[in-house]
Amino acid sequence: MSNKLSSSVPTDREVVLGILNNSEEALNKLYTGYFPMVLQFILNNNGDEDDAKDVYQEGIIVLYNKIKSGNFELTSKLKTFIYSVCRRIWLKKLSQNSRKTKDVSDFDDIISVEVDLEEHEEKDQRFEKMQSALLNLGEPCKTIIQDFYINNLSMQDICEKFGYTNTDNAKTQKYKCLQRLKKLFFQH
Amino acid sequence: MRNEIELEGIIEDYLNGKLTEAEAQAFEQLRLTDPSVDHKVVAHKVFLESLNDYAAVLDLKHQMNQAHAQIDVEGLSKKLGPHPSFIVNLWRKNKAAIAVAASFILLTIVTIYSIQQTTQQTGTYEKLNKEMNSLRSSTNSLIRNVKSSHSVKPNVNPGKFGGTGFALSSNGYILTSHHVIEKSDSVYVQNSKGESYKVKMVYSDPVNDIAILKITDSEFSPLAPLPYSLKRTSSGMGEKVYTLGYPKDDVVFGEGYLSSRTGFNGDSLAYQVAITVNPGNSGGPLLDNRGNIIGIINAKESNSDGAAFAVKSKYIAEALNAIPQDSLVRRIASTKKNQLQGLKLTKQIEKVQDFVFLIKVYK
Repeated sequence: MSNKLSSSVPTDREVVLGILNNSEEALNKLYTGYFPMVLQFILNNNGDEDDAKDVYQEGIIVLYNKIKSGNFELTSKLKTFIYSVCRRIWLKKLSQNSRKTKDVSDFDDIISVEVDLEEHEEKDQRFEKMQSALLNLGEPCKTIIQDFYINNLSMQDICEKFGYTNTDNAKTQKYKCLQRLKKLFFQH
Repeated sequence: MRNEIELEGIIEDYLNGKLTEAEAQAFEQLRLTDPSVDHKVVAHKVFLESLNDYAAVLDLKHQMNQAHAQIDVEGLSKKLGPHPSFIVNLWRKNKAAIAVAASFILLTIVTIYSIQQTTQQTGTYEKLNKEMNSLRSSTNSLIRNVKSSHSVKPNVNPGKFGGTGFALSSNGYILTSHHVIEKSDSVYVQNSKGESYKVKMVYSDPVNDIAILKITDSEFSPLAPLPYSLKRTSSGMGEKVYTLGYPKDDVVFGEGYLSSRTGFNGDSLAYQVAITVNPGNSGGPLLDNRGNIIGIINAKESNSDGAAFAVKSKYIAEALNAIPQDSLVRRIASTKKNQLQGLKLTKQIEKVQDFVFLIKVYK
């Protein structure tokens, strides 16, 4: 019953090297290459296209972090790894929604990915904490922090962007924002 | 406040490796001596890592969304998703259960079938023409020769096979079973008085197992008007019936009832009759108690007693139509009224037996 996935898939080596070199093209190829596989799995196991997108992106993040962390070894095919990770994530979501998880229709081999997923869950929790902290931070703090830490703007740029009279004022403002953000982030 | 801003700037620079070597060493010394500074460093490190991870994931998600936009999700869904048909889905999801159910049903059918098998009529179908015991029959015919010395045509050569027949008309048309006279060289009929006449076959229907004979013997004098009539409609179950036949050289009466509207294994050409018949009864008339011929005895089931079969009378009517109608003098009527109606059984038999013949077949 497994439909052959016809999309062109990059080799595993290409993907790993591409991600290590921050190649956008490699990520694109990876993403489009294996999405149909996960879509098929989710659609045939009580999910829809949006579920497939969420689960697949989470799976790719797991793979991405694993490759980036440097201790990635190709012990199985990337395909199998992605499938196993996405499968595990989806089954967990299903059981959380107390939907039935018996009789899973499988389309590929499965390997054990428990350790990877535990790591991922920790990271995911921090991600969500940061997300909600930033959300609760409010403007202009949120933008200042994002500009400085994420978009790597200099204090000078921020000073001009927000119309502060001098960089010291900007620094003080950033400091206050950061303290509040840290408080929000660590209190949970 | 200013100090703290300065401190955080230093911590950040330290974590990002922007301090000079001397500054870094001095700062590490400060960390060792002041635990509160050390705590701030650790906390800030975790925080910055989290923020960087957050930024990375956000960036990754952005890239993935761009990639996602290039995918024809809807098209893929149609190709890969579950079949829209409920039945197909049901089949795909429950293949195992369906397989189990199917094998269970199969098993049940086989079981039921095998039970039914034993309830079916397993007996073989045995046609009732009689292979005569030649010794006995020659003795009988000898006796008959003595008795009826006026018989013009003493039958020296005994018949090898026998059956029963009955008159269809006064001028010597006689009906019997096809299988009685099948493959015969010559056929004679013998009445209840022991008189034999040569006959020729004028009609035969192997499918319905019917044959019509015509007495060709010049010695034959026409019979009286037939006492019975022919019933063209079918009879109901439970109908009391009787037959006269020649399982031996003398006419024998048998009584029973119609037990099924169909014959052997559901054969719709015939009735099943609960009546005791023996070889030699084949071709005998089956009458109801109002004197209507409703069938011709032609077989019985070998394994069970009292299950005989009779060809339905409507096929007699069909056979009669095959005979030139003007050659039938005072033919059998298909009226409801006849001479036998209302008579006691013994009287009926007395009247009927003159029209029932022993068929002797030489092969």
